[in-house]
Formats: sequence, structure tokens, C-alpha cells
Amino acid sequence: MCGIAGFFRKTADHPEVGGVALNMLNALACRGPDSAGVALYGSPQPGRMVVRVTLGEHPDARIPACIHAAVESFGASDFSEVGAYLRFTIAEQSPGAKLNGLIKAIETVSPEVEVVSVGRALEVVKQVGSPANLEATFSVSAFVGSHALGHTRLSTESKVDLSHSQPFWGHGYPDLAIVHNGHITNYHQLRRRYEQRGVRFYTENDSEVVAIYLAECLEQGSGLLGAFEAMMKELDGSFSCLAATASEMGFIKDPFALKPLVFTETDAFVAVATEEVAIRAALPGNYAVSEPQARAARVWTRPA
Amino acid sequence: MTQLNAADLSTRELNSRLRDLVARDDAEIHVENPGARHNLAVAMLKSGKIRFRGSVGYYCGGLADGISIEIDGSAGWGLAESMLGGTFRVHGNAGNGAAAAIRGGTVVIEGDAAARLGVSMKGGTVIVAGDCGYMAGFMGQKGVLVVCGNAGDAFADSLYATECYVGGEIKSLGTDAVASEVTDEEAAALESLLAANLAPELRALKPQARRFRKVVAGRKLWNFDKREWKIWREAL
Repeated sequence: MCGIAGFFRKTADHPEVGGVALNMLNALACRGPDSAGVALYGSPQPGRMVVRVTLGEHPDARIPACIHAAVESFGASDFSEVGAYLRFTIAEQSPGAKLNGLIKAIETVSPEVEVVSVGRALEVVKQVGSPANLEATFSVSAFVGSHALGHTRLSTESKVDLSHSQPFWGHGYPDLAIVHNGHITNYHQLRRRYEQRGVRFYTENDSEVVAIYLAECLEQGSGLLGAFEAMMKELDGSFSCLAATASEMGFIKDPFALKPLVFTETDAFVAVATEEVAIRAALPGNYAVSEPQARAARVWTRPA
Repeated sequence: MTQLNAADLSTRELNSRLRDLVARDDAEIHVENPGARHNLAVAMLKSGKIRFRGSVGYYCGGLADGISIEIDGSAGWGLAESMLGGTFRVHGNAGNGAAAAIRGGTVVIEGDAAARLGVSMKGGTVIVAGDCGYMAGFMGQKGVLVVCGNAGDAFADSLYATECYVGGEIKSLGTDAVASEVTDEEAAALESLLAANLAPELRALKPQARRFRKVVAGRKLWNFDKREWKIWREAL
């Protein structure tokens, strides 16, 4: 099971992308009672990046102060704390080495601490429980932005906690987030390959490898559609998967069309979800919905 | 005609109302705001007419026998699954596994069908005006499957004796599926089937019956023969 959803605005309509994503997730709540999460894309602040850090299940009161100290050299400011998250902004960093330095600085504070997302536009918010609980803690519906991904999780193979929840950030690659419904059957093989290169895995969740894989493709400059094409060849199993960057959102379906996914595109928006009921619940109007065929991959790009 | 508002009713209440109205020989029931919900009008075992004024979700009209269902939007997975008899018309697209394992009746999809269309058909008629996806017609035993547009990969894999016709391109044939030309007789029968089931303006957009290709079983998988192990290895 699991439910995934994506919403991409093309016009000034529906500015509250958080609200649309939440309504979609509420309709998909029964597909994934274990956890709920969203990847929200807001308006970038020039020269700044948003960092979201989870403090763990039973955070020590001293941890936020330690993180403040650890990120000072990155020009950190605008600290706020909601739920189990610490949010702040830093001076824009280039991907790769500098971002890895930031992650390392934060995560050495405590083993409980994890960087959940970094990006100019991206903010990942996820937790154990229902979409309604997510809204109660984080007021997701008020979030204004350009596009959003959402996920409701029914855990089948790995444990239920915040880390194992989705969306997954493409660790180290700013603004990339993915949601995945399915199983990656060559996960262990791929994981070994990445670990030999020193890539750190945070979870036992096979969906994490999708984020890592796409991050690497994007780093090599292939673009999201090119990354999807490579993923179709290298990742086995069943996947209906959505991915987004600061300017793009897209979906990919596995070669056997094993997992559900439907989408619609109007002049005003693109909406993708595991079930049509989620699109209809969130977006009234007269539009046609269709299920993409096996091996389908589509990407929508915001004009620069 | 009776109108029901699905937004005011639970799925159980709605289906029970539909069943009662059909039992009372209500001529036609319109369901407003179906909202792509699942399991609508399942196991309707009497004749009657139901029109959904929007999209339906998974398993709409599953196990039907005798009902006529029209859907103004699209349908989710498992439309009309295991139907014994009745007619379905979808004005939009249909999801995975439409008309799977039907034994009778007619399913017309005016848009596209996703993967696994009409798998394991044991009778009945399926007509898709648009394209169909991966593995359509898999292990079809009886009945007629017509795709006016293009067919996806592994079309008619492991086929028995469903009559399969494709008007557009076939991306790839399934194991043991063989494509051939239609005979004049088959073209005439196909033409009258399409004329009877598609509106003239929609029919006019689709290829002429004699341009369709027929796909039949190569019969290599019907009986196991050790000497043909290679074919089996690929099929399994």
C-alpha cells in the first residue's frame, strides 16, 4: 500500500500548496496509517537555504543550543522550533562537499539528530501518525508555495519512526525530495554499492535508495527526466514514484505497472496521486484523470 | 429517474440504496458526486441503469450480473471485475485490470485503459476506443477484446481463445501471441460490433475494421512438451 501525492501549480491559483497536499493525504490516509509527510516547496529567499533538523524522539533540552553553535560558521539565522524539528536558514551552499560539512557538523551533536532537508525552497515535514496529526502539529495547510509532494506510509519491511517516514530528501543534494510506493528489489545490492563509496544510509527503508540514486544522477547533471530514465534501467521492483526539485516535479512508473498512480494536467495545475479519490477531494473542477502506462515518466518544469 | 448524492452517503448506504432501487425496477438512477470512491455498485445482480455523474474508484460494478452502468468520468482499478452480464460504458479512462476475468456482458471504455485490460476473460466483450497498456488480454479464454488505438507490451500473452483485435500499433506481442490479418467476415463482424457500441463521431475517428489486426494464440503453450522447453522458460 502507501499513498503518494504530488501537486504542481502553473498559475496564481491554489497558492496554498500545503493545503492541497494535506487534502490529498487525508484522502489517502487509509492507505498508510503508519506515518505521514510532505515535501513543500516555498519561495526561496535570495542567497539563503532552509535547513530542517529533527531532534529525535526524546530530545535533550541542550541540543538546540549545541546545533546553534555548530552551524554558526554557515551564517545560520531565523531559528525556530516546532514539534520535533529545529528549522533555520543558512547562507546558500553549493551541493557536495560544503553541504556534507554542514550535515556532519549538525549530526555530530547527537546520534538522535538528523538533517531532514536542506534546500532553497524545500521543507520536509514528516512524523509518525496520520495526516490529521501532521496538520495539528505543523499547520501544513497554511504553507504557500509552488509545488508539494506527500506520502502516507504503510510500513512493510522496515520500522515505523520519523526517519523511516517519507518524503526522503536526496541527502546532500539541495531541494531534491522523493516519495515512493512499492518495493526496490535490488535495494541491498545498490546499498552495498553506495556504501562502498562511503554514502551513508539513515534507514533500512528501500525507498531511501531512490532518493540517493536520483541525487547522484542530478549531481552528474542528467536532469530529472534523465535521472528517471536511468532509474528505469537500474532499479528493479515495483515503483510508482514522484520526485521534485526547486523547479521541477515528475513521476515514474515501473516496467510492470505494478503500483497505482493517476494524474491530471489542466491549464492551472498538475496533480498526481495513488488514487483519483485524492485528486477529486483536493481539487474541485471538471478535468480528466488517467493512469499512466508502464514505464511512463513525466516531468513538469517551472519556467525560470 | 432517481437521484442520489453520494456525498451524503457512506459507500455501504449508497450500495444498499442502489440495490433497493434496482430491485424496485427504478428505470434509471443518477449518482451525483461519486468522487472517485471505491467499491461503488458492486454485486448488482438485477437489470437496471445506473449513471455515475463523475469518476469512480476501484472495483466499480465488480461481480455485476445484468446491470447497466455509465460513468461520466474515469474508473479506477478493477472495473467490472468478474462480471457475469451487464453493460459498462466509461466516458473517460479506465485503470489497471479493467474487465478482468469477466464471463459475459460488455465493457466499453471511450478513453484509454491502463495495464492488464481484460486479463483472463472467460466471455463477454471489451471495447477500448483509445489505447491499452501492458499485458492486456493475458490468458484470455473466450470473448472478444477490441482495442481501437495502440496496445502496450506483452499483448495477449499466453492467450487461449479470446478474439483480440487491435486497430493501432502493438508495442510487443506476448509469449505465444501471433498477429494476423482479419478476414472479410471478421471485418464485417467487427464493424457491426464497433458501430453498435461507439457513437458515430467517435467511431469515425478510429481505423476501419479491415485495418485492424487480429491476434490469436500460437498454441505452443496449450500443451506441455519437453522439447519446447525454451518457450516455456521464457513464458514463465
